[in-house]
Amino acid sequence: MSNTFVDAYPRQSRLIRQAFLTSFVALGVGAFFGLLQALHRTDIWRPIESSTYYTVLTGHGVFLVVSFTIFFLVGVYQWAVTESLEREPVDMRFTWFWYGAMVFGTLLAAIAILAGFTDAIDISADVLFTFYAPLQGHPLFYIGLVIFVVGTWLAGADWFRTWWAWTKDNPDKRIPLPTFMVLTTMIMWYISSIGVAASIILFILPWSIGLIESLNPTLTRTLFWYFGHPVVYFWLLPAYLLWYILLPKLSGGRLFSDPLARVVFILFVLLSTPVGIHHQYLDPGIAEGFKYIAMTNTMFLLLPSLLTAFTVVASMEHGARQRGGTGYLGWLKALPWREPAFTGMALAGLVFAFGGFTGIVNAGMNINYLVHNSLWVPGHIHTQVGTAVALTFMAGSYWLIPQLTGNRLVGRGVALFQVLLWFVGIVFMTNSMYRGGLIGMPRRTAEPEYDGFEYEIAAGSVGELNVQLALGGVLLFVSALLFLSLMLLTLFNNDSEPIDERTIPAPLSGPEDSPAVLDNLKLWVAIAAVLVVLAYVVPLASIASRGGLFGPDVSPFPVSLETIVSVQFITTVAESLLANLGR
Amino acid sequence: MKIHTYEKLWLGAAMVLIVGFIATITYGSVGLGITMIGDDEPAIEPDALDEDERFADPRVEHVGENEYEAYVVARTFLFQPDPIEVPANSEVTFYVTSTDVIHSFSVVGTNTNTMVIPGEISTMTVELDEPGEHGVICNEYCGSGHHNMEGELHVVPEDEFDMTELEVEADDEVAEGDEVALNVSIENGMLDDLETTIEAEIGEETFEEDVTVEGDSTYETTITVDAADLGEGDHDWSVTVDDYEDSDTVTVVDELEDDGDDENDGGDGDE
Ligand code: HEM
Ligand SMILES: [Cu+2]
Ligand SMILES: [Cu+2]
Repeated sequence: MSNTFVDAYPRQSRLIRQAFLTSFVALGVGAFFGLLQALHRTDIWRPIESSTYYTVLTGHGVFLVVSFTIFFLVGVYQWAVTESLEREPVDMRFTWFWYGAMVFGTLLAAIAILAGFTDAIDISADVLFTFYAPLQGHPLFYIGLVIFVVGTWLAGADWFRTWWAWTKDNPDKRIPLPTFMVLTTMIMWYISSIGVAASIILFILPWSIGLIESLNPTLTRTLFWYFGHPVVYFWLLPAYLLWYILLPKLSGGRLFSDPLARVVFILFVLLSTPVGIHHQYLDPGIAEGFKYIAMTNTMFLLLPSLLTAFTVVASMEHGARQRGGTGYLGWLKALPWREPAFTGMALAGLVFAFGGFTGIVNAGMNINYLVHNSLWVPGHIHTQVGTAVALTFMAGSYWLIPQLTGNRLVGRGVALFQVLLWFVGIVFMTNSMYRGGLIGMPRRTAEPEYDGFEYEIAAGSVGELNVQLALGGVLLFVSALLFLSLMLLTLFNNDSEPIDERTIPAPLSGPEDSPAVLDNLKLWVAIAAVLVVLAYVVPLASIASRGGLFGPDVSPFPVSLETIVSVQFITTVAESLLANLGR
Repeated sequence: MKIHTYEKLWLGAAMVLIVGFIATITYGSVGLGITMIGDDEPAIEPDALDEDERFADPRVEHVGENEYEAYVVARTFLFQPDPIEVPANSEVTFYVTSTDVIHSFSVVGTNTNTMVIPGEISTMTVELDEPGEHGVICNEYCGSGHHNMEGELHVVPEDEFDMTELEVEADDEVAEGDEVALNVSIENGMLDDLETTIEAEIGEETFEEDVTVEGDSTYETTITVDAADLGEGDHDWSVTVDDYEDSDTVTVVDELEDDGDDENDGGDGDE
C-alpha cells in the first residue's frame, strides 16, 4: 500500500495538480517567447517585426514571473499547509473560487497581451510586466492583473482560515514550520501587493478607461516598486520552503534548525518592502537621502539569504554524513547526485549564490549607475527567478508530481539530464548577459546594435556574446520542453510503483528550541507596518506634492501644510546627516 | 533560543559583511563624492516644454570657465540636441527631461545613466576629460520604436571647440540700381570673446573684416556692393568665419518683377 499525498488528500491533490498544470502551460509559452527573444536580439532568427518584439517580451515577463511562479506557489503552499496541519480547507468551494479567480485574471491579461500580435483586434498591452505609465495598455490587462492579485489574497485568507481552525483544535502547539512559512509569506504579500493594487485601481486603470485625464508617472512607478521588490521574494520563498523542507530530506538527513528558518522568514516579512526605492536609484524627483535609506535596508536583507545558505548547506552535510559521507569536503560525494530532484535544487542553490553577488552590485547605489537597465539585469533575473526559483520548482516537481498523482516519475535519467541542461544553458546565457551589460548593451530592446557607435569590448566580441546568448537560450528552451514532456508522461503513467515516503523528518533543532514570540504573527505585522511607514510615507508624500497626485495637469492634491513641513524637515535632517558623514 | 556555535559565527560574519558593504557605499557617495540623481530641480510641466526657457530650444550653454550646461529633451524616439557637442576637459551638467513617456539618457559604457521621467528633470554633472565620440541610448522601453532611439555625445578636442553660429541673409534677386547686401550675424555662445575674421566673396569682389564678438552675444554686420558693379546675371557669394561658411547665389536683374513686395528674403541657412 503506497502512502502518497494523493492517497491521503485526493481533493487537495486535484486542486494542486490543476494549479501546477496552469503554471506549466505558462512556463511553456514563456519559454517559447524567451527563445524568440534570444534569437531576435542576436539577429539570428527574426520571424517577427522588431516592433512586435515588445509584445513577446511582455508575454515572457507576465507569463513567467506572474503566472508560472505564482500558480506554482499556490500549489506548493496548498500542499504545505495541508500536509503540515494535516487538515483540509474549511470550505473547498472557496479554495476553488480563488483558483478560478486567478485563472480568470490571467486569461484577461493574456488576451490583452496576445491580441497585440494581430491588428484584427483593437486590443494590445505592449507595456511589459512593469507597465510604467504613461505607456498605456488596454484596460483588460490591468483588470486581469487586479483580479489575479485578489485571487492570491483570497488564497492567503484560505490558508489563514485553515490555520485558525487548526489552532482551535491545537491551542498550545507551535505553528508547524511549513505553515509558518506560508503565513509569513502571505503577510509580506499583503503588505506589499497593496502598492501595486493602489497604483492600478486608483490611477492607472481609471486613466486607461479615461475617467481621469492624467497621472503622476513617478508616483505610479514608485508604487510599483513598493511592490516590485517584495514580489521577488514572493517568487523566491516557495523555493526557500522547498530548500528548507524537502532538500534536507532528499539529501538523506533532516533540517538543521527550525528556529533559524523561522527567523529567516520573519526577516523577510520585516525587510522586503522598505527597500523598493533601490530600483529607483536613477529616478529624478526622489531625494538622495531616500535612496540611501533603501540601500542600507537592502544590505540588511542579505542576512536572511546568508542564513539560508548556512542552514541549507549544513542540512545537506548532515544528510551526506548520514549516508556515510566523511571528510572535510569529501561528504559532498555522498550526496544523492543521481536524484534529479536533489541535483536540480542543489544546482539552483549554487546559481542563486552567484546571482546573489550580482545582486549586491545592483544594490550598491553608485555601482548601479553602470548596470542599471543594461543586459546585466536580465542576467541577474535569470540566475535568480529564472534559475534559483524556476529550477527549484522543476526539481521539486520531480518529487511532488508523483506525490500528487500516485504515478512514478517517468524518465529519471532524462530528468537528471534536464536539470543539468538548464544549468549549462543558464551559464551560457547569463554569462553573455552579464558581460553584455558591462559594455553597455541595454536590456528590453529588439535590436541592441546601433548605427551611431560600436560597443567597446575588452575581451571577446559582440559576435561571441551573441552566440552564447542564443546557444544558452536554445539549451534552456530544450530543457523546458524536456521538463514539460516528462511531466505530461508522468501524469499518464499509470504503472505506479511504490514511490518515496512522504513523511518529512523532524529538524535536528526543533521549534521547542526557539522562543514562542517567533510565532506571534501580529507582532511581526505591526513591526513590518511601522518600517513600511517609516520608509515610504515621506517619499510618497514628497512625490505626490511635487508632481501632483493625479499628475501636473490636475490641480495638486491638497497635501496639508503639516505634511509638507514635515517632509521638508525630514529631508533636511537626512541631507544634513549625509553631509555631515561626508566631512 | 538555542543557536549552534557555527551559526553564531556565520551570523557574525554576515553582519560584518553587510556593515562593510554599507560602509563602502557610504564612503563612495560621500567621501569620493560620487553623486546620484536626486530631486534638485523642481518638477516641470511635460506638455509645456516649448514654453520653458531651458527646454524650448534644447542646446549646450557655456556657463563658466570650463563649465557647460546641456539641456536635453528625450521624446519618442529621439534626443534633442543630437549630437550634443562639448569640449574635452570640461565639466558638463546635463539637464534632461521627457515630453511623453519614461525614457533614459544613457551614455553607453559609462555610468552617465539616468531615467528620464516626464514631469521631472534629471541632472547630473560629468567630467569629460578625453575627446571622443560616445553613443547615447535610451535604455528604458518607451514604445515600438524604442530600439531606434539613439543619439551622440561628441567630446571635441578643446582647440577645435567653439560655439560660433554664422547666419547670413541676402536677397535672391536685386535690381541693378540697388545694392546687394549680405546681412551677417555671428553668434558667440562661449563666454570668452571671439577674435575672428569675416571673409566674404561676391562675384569677383572680396571683403575682409577683423571682428571681436563678445562673449555670449551676437555680432551683426552688413556687407554691401553695388549691384551695378556686378552686372546683370547670377553671382555666387560666400561668407566664411573660421570653419563656418554660408553661400548662395544672387541674381541681378534689370528690374524687380513684383514691385509690391520687395521684402523678398532669400538666402538663408545657418552653419
Ligand atoms: C527558455 C528559457 C528562457 C529564455 C531563452 C529567456 C530569454 C530571455 C531574454 C533573451 C530576455 C531579455 C529580453 C530583453 O531584455 O530584451 C529575457 C528577459 C526576462 N526573462 Fe527570460 N528567458 C527564459 C526563461 C525565463 C524564466 C524561467 C524566467 C522566470 C521565471 C524568465 C524571466 C524573465 C524576465 C522577468 C525578463 C525581463 C523581462 C522584461 O525586461 O520585461 N525568463 N528572457
Ligand atoms: Cu529589488
Ligand atoms: Cu526607449
